[in-house]
Amino acid sequence: MTAFEPGTFLAGLLSGLLAAIQDSPAVAPIAAGASAVRPDAVERGLRFLATAYSVVWTILGTYLVILSFRLRRVSRQVRRIRERLGL
Amino acid sequence: MRPMWSRVLQITTLLAVPASLYMVFVVAPIEEKMGVIQKIFYFHVPSAFMAFLGVGLCAVMSVLYLVTRQRRWDLVAHAAAELGVVFCTIVLITGPIWARPVWGVWWTGEVRLTSTLVLWLIYVGYLLLRQNAENREQAARWAAITGIVGALDMPIIYKSVEWWRGLHPVVLKMSGGGGLDPVMGRAFAACVVTFTLLFLCLLVERVRLGRLEDEVESLEQQAARRPLTAATDAGGGSSR
Repeated sequence: MTAFEPGTFLAGLLSGLLAAIQDSPAVAPIAAGASAVRPDAVERGLRFLATAYSVVWTILGTYLVILSFRLRRVSRQVRRIRERLGL
Repeated sequence: MRPMWSRVLQITTLLAVPASLYMVFVVAPIEEKMGVIQKIFYFHVPSAFMAFLGVGLCAVMSVLYLVTRQRRWDLVAHAAAELGVVFCTIVLITGPIWARPVWGVWWTGEVRLTSTLVLWLIYVGYLLLRQNAENREQAARWAAITGIVGALDMPIIYKSVEWWRGLHPVVLKMSGGGGLDPVMGRAFAACVVTFTLLFLCLLVERVRLGRLEDEVESLEQQAARRPLTAATDAGGGSSR
């Protein structure tokens, strides 16, 4: 079994997400006063929104998972040394 | 074993996350000009607040550490810096995703964006400094100084849109109203509360990890001393 590498996992995930929102080379900015309720504008907005929300929860989730892995590993280490010392 | 208040904090956070998502996607109206993309605001801005909270807390704890030299302040400073980097990363990724459809570019060289990137780099440096240092005392001292100096970037980030006008809007105005719809304001407040709870939850766990790592270190020192003590005792016994 290969070891879990958070850095590689996150890089792969982010490149996948960026690839998902790759659209036409030149994205026209939403002009002031232009309608943002046109179907194409809504679809494009939803794509960017979904990507942004995925990024937020992926980063927070990954950090939480890494933190809990580290906590579990260090707790195990404490228990093992305590046992060895007969404490 | 975790204290009761820690459990309560975790449960409250777990309940607050879906509640804030409901506020953002169901209750808050869609903004007229930008459309649905504006909803990034509800997570982008609270993330920026949490990045500031992490950096600010790190600076305050670093000052306390330099004054008192007590390890507990250093532990909190380290945890807060790590969380500051996590939330600043979110800001730096969600910002360009929002900017691309609205401004037409992923990134501009304006002061707010650049100074936020500088803040992130300073605190990544802070974490690398701590990770690669061999002497813990020395690393804590240097990290504290880095933490305090890095926090000086915060007022620049905050005031940059007023001092140097650019594409980035002023997020919150202290006077004259922020121009936010009241329902949007409530959704935004819900997100700020949720992110604050999330920050506190993660901070508590990160500080716990730091304490456990300290315990491992002191137990390992005890274990290393023990055979020597046993050998000394044995040697002492034979000479009698």
